Amino acid sequence: MDVIERYLEAVAAQLSTEDREDIVAELRDLILSRVEAKEQELGRALTDDEKEAILHEIGHPLVVAARYRKGPDSLIGPELFPYWLFGAKAGLIVVAAVQVLVLMLRVLGDPADFGQAIAQGFHGFFTGALTLLGALTLAGAIMEHYGLKPAWLTTWRVGDLPAYGLADPAKWGAAMSSSGKAKVARPSEVRNWAGRLEGREASEALWSLIAGTVFVLWWIDVLHVPGLSQFGLRGGEVAVTAAPIWSALFAPILAWAVAGTAVDALGLIQPQAARLRAFLKIPVSMGGMWIGWRLFEARHWFTLTQGDQIAHVEGGPANVSSEALRAINDAGRGLTDTAMTLSTVLSWVLVVMMLALVLDIAKQMWRMATIPD
Amino acid sequence: MDKELFETMRLELRRGSLVLAVLACLRTERYGYSLRQALAADGLEMEESTLYPLLRRLEGQGLLTSEWREEEKRKKRFYVLSPGGEAMLAALTEEWRGINASLDRML
Repeated sequence: MDVIERYLEAVAAQLSTEDREDIVAELRDLILSRVEAKEQELGRALTDDEKEAILHEIGHPLVVAARYRKGPDSLIGPELFPYWLFGAKAGLIVVAAVQVLVLMLRVLGDPADFGQAIAQGFHGFFTGALTLLGALTLAGAIMEHYGLKPAWLTTWRVGDLPAYGLADPAKWGAAMSSSGKAKVARPSEVRNWAGRLEGREASEALWSLIAGTVFVLWWIDVLHVPGLSQFGLRGGEVAVTAAPIWSALFAPILAWAVAGTAVDALGLIQPQAARLRAFLKIPVSMGGMWIGWRLFEARHWFTLTQGDQIAHVEGGPANVSSEALRAINDAGRGLTDTAMTLSTVLSWVLVVMMLALVLDIAKQMWRMATIPD
Repeated sequence: MDKELFETMRLELRRGSLVLAVLACLRTERYGYSLRQALAADGLEMEESTLYPLLRRLEGQGLLTSEWREEEKRKKRFYVLSPGGEAMLAALTEEWRGINASLDRML
């Protein structure tokens, strides 16, 4: 097979079957015309090297075939590229933030494993980053190929623009704080306090989203935090096993965490939808309170095992008292006393969390009353 | 003056005029190679690798018609303006003359 036919075969392999024959015939005519013109000029037949030089001038087979491709010239065209770039930058920053948080948890759980935690952190970041970029590119390529134009490409408002500060971590707090419409509509004294409150809540929403994502990943066993299932005590290692209530509440807790994360994500995507976000936070907080109440009702939370000794970590109203707090001071370092201490501490933590949820419900109801439509 | 930058901008300037040049040349029936030679003779060099896909695109848009014919013992594809192509050429010519007049006033 001569040089020209080998070249045409390489081009043909990149073309669609319906156009292949036609395009190759045209290219053959083009190449042979060039060869004939050169042969006429030189007064002799061309060598294979001279023919190859002509083929080089025409172009690489992949490039030549690409010129005949129907549809978009690029995977992600110039109209879509700025959005892709923003998504990539903001997404990579979030992935990095999640990995930093996970790294901190790992190091706190097992400081001796610092080197491994760092290595896992890098691995997690690169895996997450590649997955993010792959997913973004696939989505962008599909939109480009089918000419899809979602509403956010064609319609936007100035009120949405601060959200794009997400691509710059230095502006995360301020990025989601403004909703120009809301600021204009409120009375000035409410606006000032609400404006400061919005700014703080916007930052909290972002970090809450990151923390919520990490929690969900840990809850479904994708992320592992060492040091939670056992700890050292006088007398040996203590194994920590979850009580049956955690299995019963696995799905509700997962749903609650995902719902909370989704509401935080809404704050990033649509910062001007403050009333909607406040409205959605109320059932999420109520869901958290229900989970807390179920935990209090169950009482038995964890089982501590040291050798043949067993002690239960049990929370409840009896542990939420000043006497229970004072008892911690007198507690020894044995298994039973440690269980008692943990029971009291965790009971108080749960009570504080439920009070915080009550306050959150009140706050969201106040926000709904003060934020205009 | 940066020669590379000038070359890039020169190509961009010329790129905008290629479709009009091709349509104008194809008022007379030609095949790919002879079309390229005609364009080059009038001062518009164009790579065949760019010209041929452009001809297919214009045909796909209904501005050209083509047929394969044997000439000098080889099959060649001859292109010529379609009625739609003639109307488009007239409209683009008017547009081009308007742009030229505006630029002449500015330069």
